[in-house]
Amino acid sequence: MASKVTFDAREAVDFAIIGSGSAGGILAKELSTAGFDVVVFEQGPYRKAEDFTHDELSVLLRGELLGGGPDVNGQTFRTDKSETAVSGPSAPARYAQTVGGSSVHYTANFWRLRPVDFKERSLLGPISGTNFADWPISYEELEPYYTRVDWEIGVSGAPGPFDAPRSKPFPMPPLPIKSSGVLLEKGAKALGLHAQAEPHAILSQPFNGRAACMKCGYCMYYGCEAGAKSSTLAAMIPLAEASGHCEIRAESAVYRIETDGKGRASEVHYYDPDGREQAQKARAVVVSANGAETSRLLLMSASDRHPDGLANSSGFVGRNLMYNAHAAANGVFEHPLNDYKGAQVSRIIHDFYDTDEKRGFYGGGGIDARPLWSATPLFQVLEGMPPDVPRWGAQFKDEMAHNFTRQMSIVASTTSLALDSNNVTLDPNNTDKWGRPSIRVTYHDHEDDLAMAKFLQDRSMELFDAAGATKAWRHPIRSTDGGEHLLGTCRMGDDPATSVVDRYHRSHDVPNLFICDGSSLVTSGRGQPTMTIMALAFRAAEHIAAAARTSNI
Amino acid sequence: MSADKNVSRRQFLKSSGTLSGVTLLRIGAPAVIAITEAACTAKQNNAAYKVLGAEEAAEFAAIAARIIPTTDTPGAAEAGVIHFFDNAFATEMSEMLGAAREGLAEFNVALGDARPGMSRFSTLTPEEQDAYLATWESSGFFELCRMMTMFGFFAMSKYGGNKDHVSWDLIGFEGNHGAWEYPFGYYDAEYTREQPGGE
Repeated sequence: MASKVTFDAREAVDFAIIGSGSAGGILAKELSTAGFDVVVFEQGPYRKAEDFTHDELSVLLRGELLGGGPDVNGQTFRTDKSETAVSGPSAPARYAQTVGGSSVHYTANFWRLRPVDFKERSLLGPISGTNFADWPISYEELEPYYTRVDWEIGVSGAPGPFDAPRSKPFPMPPLPIKSSGVLLEKGAKALGLHAQAEPHAILSQPFNGRAACMKCGYCMYYGCEAGAKSSTLAAMIPLAEASGHCEIRAESAVYRIETDGKGRASEVHYYDPDGREQAQKARAVVVSANGAETSRLLLMSASDRHPDGLANSSGFVGRNLMYNAHAAANGVFEHPLNDYKGAQVSRIIHDFYDTDEKRGFYGGGGIDARPLWSATPLFQVLEGMPPDVPRWGAQFKDEMAHNFTRQMSIVASTTSLALDSNNVTLDPNNTDKWGRPSIRVTYHDHEDDLAMAKFLQDRSMELFDAAGATKAWRHPIRSTDGGEHLLGTCRMGDDPATSVVDRYHRSHDVPNLFICDGSSLVTSGRGQPTMTIMALAFRAAEHIAAAARTSNI
Repeated sequence: MSADKNVSRRQFLKSSGTLSGVTLLRIGAPAVIAITEAACTAKQNNAAYKVLGAEEAAEFAAIAARIIPTTDTPGAAEAGVIHFFDNAFATEMSEMLGAAREGLAEFNVALGDARPGMSRFSTLTPEEQDAYLATWESSGFFELCRMMTMFGFFAMSKYGGNKDHVSWDLIGFEGNHGAWEYPFGYYDAEYTREQPGGE
């Protein structure tokens, strides 16, 4: 488990990177292979591919890769600031604590944003009561980095009819179509919609020395024991360590970024694996801890010079949390789909991506077909049973036995509007197992986002009907009490009064502090954010390295 | 962690059946699931129990056997679900054992109130059991039994239940071991036939 190189905590390294996930793993690889000395802090353990299992009880229900639930992290939730936030059975901010972060357990649906996502505010005008804004960068500016994600992380796919322009083809063909994809495509044709192959951060062929997907079906929420899922653990961390300039410091939970007399970030304070306080000096700090953890750390790093939290003169740290709203409809068919095999999704529909003012509300989204609950047995019986079936007894048993192989879901994911009232703050009462103030989430979906989810669920029910489902039902849509997409909480922008980082991810307030992860997103996209987080990380790394080389940090 | 488990126990006792399955599961999950493989050797239906007495085991087993009954296919009894209960109560769910026992005692006392002379659920006929169990559907005790029955039925055998993977066979799940080949199901097979070389 030992890293190839270790650095002395008392000697300043070039970069301390906090977080080893989708952004942190890429920044670690890019900066270390460029010759900079880097220490990566990861609060979770250093699991390798061979450590990942198919143990549904442990992974899906216990949250093995999440490091446990609210009993461990103390996270709290409320829908409005007038309430006292409380811990529920499930954490409101869900991310993997393991080297590679949430790229280890993601489902690996990899959508690029489109040009419209970056400038929708200009196209549509303001939306009252929201922080709806354009990005400071365009799709065209990010496109080369999306292409780097395709080719360096490893993305399988085929162009779809509405895709944004790409400068280079996908490096690999898409994963083959599953029965759920066939049925979605059938429904789409009947309704005049366009099903297209799902792009995945999963290898459909051997690539860059890594093995291809073996179709085990354990993608969503599980780690890939074949290394075929393109996590940063599989694709980036090995290259970073091989550079001889990168130390992965696992089970090291950062609790403060210290600043010096000039207001520059100087030291990273953390708990080591034995719970002892340690400090690592650094010439620059990169925070890539995810939209919830990054916000918490900056708020915890308040000082006399930065009384409201580090890099928070705008007050925007932690604000504008966007989860993407979701809706699910479930259907059963006459013959077995066996959709538990293989990656979750094989076909998607992007006909409703753009905002259509005729719908009467802001927003757009995507639809996909996947097993969802029926990917594994416990998930199926606990969440995926039809509402008209008893919860126990002979009829329940017959129904679950019949449905497991014949069931699929059509899942919709949508835009989330940025709101002041949806945010991450420090819980005043709870602490996590390290003693840090717990993450407190305040969140209520904007009514337009729920309306979009409902609109797409209506289309999902039509698709089931057109595809010949013998039975279909809706999963109730309600404002969410948690999620995995932790977006927007340290947004990028040109104006220091309304954003936390500039267009190159440098914080407006602290010149040697960079922030790059889901928190950087200005808008939420239509529901699969990781491709964009990774592209931003490649782009940020290029600018950060250039600045460091010219002593401009 | 004992404080957390006290919270779990309170939540359990106060909870109603309106909690979703996953919700209740997650309350008990850290307890239910962190059961070590070493602690999970009981698999035979006649194996000795770690913490459950024979009589209370028979009661829990009878409840589980109505939640997933034996029909023309195996149910909770054949899967050895009671050994999941026993393992869980012996290890990470040990703090819940007291509450579960209180719940069971209350369950059987109320049975005596409803049917004078009857003091053990396990001695009722299956039809009588279903009718009585239905009156408990909204209770935390029932929900605990239901959740543990599901875990014991479907979770990996190393947790004590799912003997010989009878549950997976029942639902047509060919196992969690890994590699599969296309086509997976009826519709993708048909699609592939219609589009030779297509995918």
